[in-house]
Amino acid sequence: MHRIFTFQTKIRQAKRDTLAVYLERLRVELLSPISDLPFVSLTKIHFVSLVIVPDDRFGDLLVFENNIDGTIDAYIEDLCDLASAALHTIYAMCEGYDASNGFERGEMRAYLRRHLVVPSAGFVGNVGRSVARIRSEHDLRDGLETHLDELRDGDRLGATPDRIYAQLRARVAATSAWALQPKARLSGTEMLKRRLRAAAFVWCGLAALPILLPLGAIFIIVLLAHELRDRSVIDAPDARRMAAITATEDNILQNHFASIVDVKPSRFRRATLRCVLSVTKLAASLSTDGTLSNLDNIHFAHWVLIDGGRRMLFLTNYDGSWENYLDDFIDKASAGLTAIWSNCKLREPYANFPRTWLLVNGGARDERNFKNIARGSQLPTNLWYSAYPTITVPRIESNSAIRDGLATPPHGDGVDAWIQRL
Amino acid sequence: MITTDAFERDDIQGLVASGYVHLPRSAFALLTFDASDPRDARTWLRAIARTVTSASGRCERTSLNLALTFTGLQKLALPPATLSTFPVAFAEGMTSARRASILGDDSRVAAPWSWGGEHTPVDALLMVYGVTDDELAAFLARALADAAAHGLAHVVAPLEGRIHEDRNEHFGFADGIAQPVLASQRKHDPLARAGNVVRDGEFVLGYRNEYGAFANAPALGLDGSLGKNGTYLVFRQIEQDVAGLWNFIGSAAQNDPDTQELLAAKIVGRWRSGAPIVTYPGADPDPLELETATDDFVFRDDPHGFACPFGAHIRRANPRDGLRTSNDAAESLRRAARHRLLRRGRSYGARIADPRTADGIERGLHFIAICADIERQFEFVQQTWINNPVFGGLVGEVDPLVGDQSQGDAVMTIPGTLARVRVRGMTSFVTVRGGAYFFLPSLRALAWLGEP
Repeated sequence: MHRIFTFQTKIRQAKRDTLAVYLERLRVELLSPISDLPFVSLTKIHFVSLVIVPDDRFGDLLVFENNIDGTIDAYIEDLCDLASAALHTIYAMCEGYDASNGFERGEMRAYLRRHLVVPSAGFVGNVGRSVARIRSEHDLRDGLETHLDELRDGDRLGATPDRIYAQLRARVAATSAWALQPKARLSGTEMLKRRLRAAAFVWCGLAALPILLPLGAIFIIVLLAHELRDRSVIDAPDARRMAAITATEDNILQNHFASIVDVKPSRFRRATLRCVLSVTKLAASLSTDGTLSNLDNIHFAHWVLIDGGRRMLFLTNYDGSWENYLDDFIDKASAGLTAIWSNCKLREPYANFPRTWLLVNGGARDERNFKNIARGSQLPTNLWYSAYPTITVPRIESNSAIRDGLATPPHGDGVDAWIQRL
Repeated sequence: MITTDAFERDDIQGLVASGYVHLPRSAFALLTFDASDPRDARTWLRAIARTVTSASGRCERTSLNLALTFTGLQKLALPPATLSTFPVAFAEGMTSARRASILGDDSRVAAPWSWGGEHTPVDALLMVYGVTDDELAAFLARALADAAAHGLAHVVAPLEGRIHEDRNEHFGFADGIAQPVLASQRKHDPLARAGNVVRDGEFVLGYRNEYGAFANAPALGLDGSLGKNGTYLVFRQIEQDVAGLWNFIGSAAQNDPDTQELLAAKIVGRWRSGAPIVTYPGADPDPLELETATDDFVFRDDPHGFACPFGAHIRRANPRDGLRTSNDAAESLRRAARHRLLRRGRSYGARIADPRTADGIERGLHFIAICADIERQFEFVQQTWINNPVFGGLVGEVDPLVGDQSQGDAVMTIPGTLARVRVRGMTSFVTVRGGAYFFLPSLRALAWLGEP
């Protein structure tokens, strides 16, 4: 099972720059096994980020994002075992941590627990797949590709798809027999649990219909009143800010996006956002094929309301370039995007989301302004680690399908389709 | 600002509407302004602006167009508030660290650029076109006559570019076939069809684009309205290693002539004639059989890439209905339409005598593309399609023809009915020699920029 959560801590006054320098050092040492924060030894991690969220109203915040396998408790123990120096240094610069006695496991454990924040809604693209599985299935595929080349180079390639399949399967049996054991993506009980939860939600909704209908009518009227009052003011983000953001934005294969927005200051907007995030959470939990609203480039994403619902943090780990990610979002999920972000605004430079009507229309479809808002809300990611930086979500899906096809041999056209995956 | 959808052809530079195919000879002068006094540059600009060819459609024996880089606009002493209304990508310039990393230029193993690089910045690009070499030379000389007197200097000698009589580029393939048609021009263009008509705002500022929004124009002129009818122009001087490509293909195909032609077609996605391999999977068709509309095809009929590999150059550069991440063909076409380019490129350098024998002469393509949004169009195509190692479900390979394969041992996957073939040991067949992002102002904006 995956866990998605953050540790959120207030940065001590005047420590923000020192902390940024330390995080930069950790970034430079990202893949070193002797770094203070040796990601490569922390084998439960899928993606981790550390982001400084500067704010003069709420105080500067450090967000430590974790997308991991296993339990949170076991992960905290791993961190204490392998990254005590980094944790101690980082949290000595944050409020509420007593650094005077050096690193103490009990103190750190309790501190992390106190600052643990779970998402308001979260999405996992690689549902049911551990880091170890993702990596080993990727190696399995590499091995098959190489063997296929060898067979062809040596003029030993079978003359029919069935023959080729048998050659490749025999190779796997000899070199990685584990792959011949079927492995379901989610356990039957887990699937059932998710479906029941959704069914319960729908049934409760239907049962409450007599109340919901009039409420809905009122909601629409109030919403329209809000939307008519909203003004869309959007400036392109300034060049210096952009330079800081894009400095660490990697380019082709995977990227991280962190953003913070103010929730519009009305109780109505806050309540609407909470409802929309609940629906998002439900929809995300029902998606078990690696896609969210037909988007197939998200490894992990999560939304979390902070400061009593006055701000919303969004963190995502995705495939491809930023432009492509946003275009995809606009094309395939603009209703969902608009429903969430139209309840929000930027503080500085002051900017409102593009005009909307009835919550899901307009908004994100205003491409350039929407991208400006997205850039304006974006925070530079101080430190980011991916356990499999060259493997995309569709590739993970395809690798698993290849393994499934070895564990459960296909028939007829299925054999062809299996070979075409290579 | 009052904006209408009527295409203001008299105010738009001619290159937007036409590739000047009737003017096969051309020259591109790369100029710098004297930074010390903007008045000199403005005086020169004012004079030359009057001779710029518009898109009004008159066929003359010469044409002239003029584009400016961000540094050029800075040297014309535009106020910072005006300069800040240009998009970031254009302001940063093609060779800035950020843009270079998007374009994959930072990782290329290559010699320094001959122009457009850190030490060879360009302020203005003068593009002249003519029917014959002599007419062109005379016209260029006239256009540049008083440039030096106004402090303009050449970064390099003017580049020559041409359309060869057979319309082929140096690798030997028919070029420039896939062109979008501006929606407002569809009635005048016999090649217009559902799949290639794109709204004007994708190529000219101030008009509605494929998102239905007005393409953002910079705030030029007294009332900020003169950005309209301008657009952006991407110029890249791309050297082609003709012998490198054909020797590679020769050895990969064990010098079997038919296999060579087939492998070349798989790499490009078209046969030499331009016939798409999707429509003609077996061999280059007889010219008489070849339909004139070689651009009228889709990838839907080739879902496994058996005819045209997913990684083939034309399948990457314009995936049409075949974007794997789309739900259906219509959505794919709609999305691909947001990443189109008007291509106005020209070949340079002498034709190679024997395509398998390197002769040490530089030849290639002056890649010239027009788009309203450098980031969403040109850079997107480069980054998300051409150089993307995981494009279309592939892994670890880039565009086999124009991608950066300088890291060595690049591969290309060619799907086959039995099992795919991986062509290995590919290298880079092109090298970027120079380039810059330009603004192609409207005629009125040019006149305004030249005001004292």
